[in-house]
Amino acid sequence: MIIVEIISEPIESFQPQNNNSQNGAELVFNGRVRGVENGEPIKYLDYEQYEGMAETELRNLANKACSKFPINDLFCRHRVGKVKAGETSLHVVILSKHRKESIEAMDWFILELKKHVPIWKWAILKDGIRVPSECAH
Amino acid sequence: MIFIKVKCFSQVKYALGVDELTFQLDEDSTSNDLENIIRKKAGPKLNNISLRIAINQKYLIEETILQDGDEVVFIPPVQGG
Repeated sequence: MIIVEIISEPIESFQPQNNNSQNGAELVFNGRVRGVENGEPIKYLDYEQYEGMAETELRNLANKACSKFPINDLFCRHRVGKVKAGETSLHVVILSKHRKESIEAMDWFILELKKHVPIWKWAILKDGIRVPSECAH
Repeated sequence: MIFIKVKCFSQVKYALGVDELTFQLDEDSTSNDLENIIRKKAGPKLNNISLRIAINQKYLIEETILQDGDEVVFIPPVQGG
């Protein structure tokens, strides 16, 4: 099963029902906003998306991940809008028979997301100035 | 003539100072022609920033002739996650 969502509210974790007794691994990744960018403290990040295309690209990548790796489920929530330091901006859960394929699929999925999904972040500095974030790690 | 809508995000929005622009172009204009116009309009703020092009919400693989009503986005390096 694949679920991808781009939301503007705080992210609630997926709670997958483990109806598939073949799943021996459930891997969870939470990406959080750091409070400092390029040495400067920030108030928050403001994530901007190209609405429509961002979710389509995310879904395409999830489908590719499920074809490329022997995983059974991939769930992804990406938050847009204002996200304060410490809050989760990306939540991904992958289920598979063994841990190795989940770990490899997770790494691949997040790397590809950071290359292809049209989402950007603006850093809002402590003095309120809004600049395009330079962070693309 | 054709009319093309350009939506602006991230560094492109920062450089141009707007969310959206409409251009009236010659009928045989290409995606590269429009990129040149955008880069000229933005000035040095887009120097050294690579831009991928999406037309009607799909990434372009190669230079394409624009069609009347196309929605074009010049996509600076993305930063999801």
